[in-house]
Amino acid sequence: MIDFISYPVSYLVLGAIAIFLRPKFANTIGILSIISSMLCLSIVSDSQVLNYQIMSFNNVFYQISDLSFLFCIVFLTIGLFGKIFSIYRENCNEKGYVLLYIASALGVVLSGDFLTLYVFWEAMAITSTFVIWSTRNQLSLDSGNRYIILHLIGGLILLVGLIGLYGQTYDLTIREISLNTWYSWFILIGLLLNAGAPPFSQWIPDAYPEGSYSSSVFLSAYTTKTAVYVLIITFAGNSILIYIGIYMILYGIVYALLENDIRRILSYSIVNQVGFMIVGIGIGTELAINGTSAHAFSHIIYKGLLLMSAGSVLYITGKRKCTDVGGLYKTMPITAACGIIGAFAISAFPFTSGFISKSMIVESSYIEGLEIIWYFLLIGSAGVFLHAGIKFPWFVFFHRDKKLEATDPPIFMLIPMVSLSFICIMIGIFPNLLYILLPYSVDYIPYTGNHVVSQLHLLLFSGLAFFMALKYLERTLTITLDIDYLYRRKYTFIMLIFSKIVYYFVSILENLKQTKINKKLYLIENTLLNQSSISVMLSVITIIIILVFLLNI
Amino acid sequence: MKTRKNIIYSIFIIISFTPYLYLFYDFKKVKFSVDNLVGFYPIYGFLACVGLIIFAKLLGLVLKKDEDFYD
Repeated sequence: MIDFISYPVSYLVLGAIAIFLRPKFANTIGILSIISSMLCLSIVSDSQVLNYQIMSFNNVFYQISDLSFLFCIVFLTIGLFGKIFSIYRENCNEKGYVLLYIASALGVVLSGDFLTLYVFWEAMAITSTFVIWSTRNQLSLDSGNRYIILHLIGGLILLVGLIGLYGQTYDLTIREISLNTWYSWFILIGLLLNAGAPPFSQWIPDAYPEGSYSSSVFLSAYTTKTAVYVLIITFAGNSILIYIGIYMILYGIVYALLENDIRRILSYSIVNQVGFMIVGIGIGTELAINGTSAHAFSHIIYKGLLLMSAGSVLYITGKRKCTDVGGLYKTMPITAACGIIGAFAISAFPFTSGFISKSMIVESSYIEGLEIIWYFLLIGSAGVFLHAGIKFPWFVFFHRDKKLEATDPPIFMLIPMVSLSFICIMIGIFPNLLYILLPYSVDYIPYTGNHVVSQLHLLLFSGLAFFMALKYLERTLTITLDIDYLYRRKYTFIMLIFSKIVYYFVSILENLKQTKINKKLYLIENTLLNQSSISVMLSVITIIIILVFLLNI
Repeated sequence: MKTRKNIIYSIFIIISFTPYLYLFYDFKKVKFSVDNLVGFYPIYGFLACVGLIIFAKLLGLVLKKDEDFYD
């Protein structure tokens, strides 16, 4: 019994159960369970290890290091502020799912062996899908469906890799894995899919903006960053990650420039920012790993802030596209101020949290003498300002005044925004607040003349380029095609290939649908079975993966 | 469009002060040959952004579709 008390995840799960039983008190229960989880995390000693023997495996549920402590702290912090932000949200089930989502993300970070990690990994995919579905409209149902299928396939790839790992070494403790065996590639691909790596980066902007105004704050924080955490431990220092990261940086910028949906712009910038972290993992020196962890921390904070300000705009005006809003700084001044602080933090202006973390990654590439990589990181730094730093606040809060009736959101939505802005600036001015939490000792000084001057020069001229090219950046009512064309568009090449197999499976599913389905299962029936063509096509892919796996054995 | 012009003018005014930032820049601490050059960061940042915008525009010509494309 004492074990459960000292395990932070259990409070969140209990809280979620309590919310489902007593939806009336959802807000209080949610906030209290996160606070008690935080207390538990800070009280329980670092040396304690919680493990259970399940079947023949030794499952380590609780094993904390400096790195996992950093991630736990920031996960719970954004969880707490997000919970306060979502107080006015009426859908109580969503609040329960969110708690379970936080619990599973925390479970991944705290786990000490791959089996426990895998269980929480899958739980994270499922709970986050329920968070997306909680918006309860057709768009969120569809995109949640695509999201979960992609993630289950990613989970399957990871599982295949883990089975291989166990088969070869009989050891599932989480440790560094070298990329010279077939199963390590499976593990890497499974992890990278959750990080939003190419070619499937597209799931982030597809799924996250379909969450409700409050839930996209949570969605942005956990899935990609747990992947970053596991990658730091398992694959640090593999140079292939550098190139993947650079692709993600550029992908995020270019697609965000073409995008019209406010929260989708911010989702593309998640891909971009995670790209910086992946580059840091690929470089793999102590400074780079420190920079990656610090950047994950500050990224979660300012991305939460940005999505809160976008969520406030959605909550107040009901508009989600850049073409529909504009000139909101007059009517929503506090939201605008917080959004601008978040935008400055993401573009790493000096004296914001982004500056002290991102410059570590850039500096590590500089010290290692990776000249080409360094050039790309500079392009990335300038491009972040272009697509998230100015584009987001400019088209939402300034630009043409659409004369929308709006006010600042109610007080409990303002408190978390103002607090997160405060944290962004505090960390920026006193970087040691964050540096003491990092896994390695830090002898890095962010505020040198060279760092500040070079960053200011980059950003100012990037801003100049934005306003000079403003005519060409006007938003249009369009979407941009991506890899999802292959499985969203009907009758494309792949669809035709699989059509016969699809037909066969659809007939089975049709039979299934004729059986009496409980009304409560309406949601699942509506999403999974109606979209059988997609799911069947992707399940064919999973069969191919399993075949590859069997051939390897 | 008047605001846009005003913003560009004010950015130019800010930029006219940027050369003074080099007072804080230590040219002895640089490692690569390029960041030894005066004006490397501003020009590189500007060109990078223009390049990204042009690339995005070109990509948009091919990949942009109407919003109801998948419906």
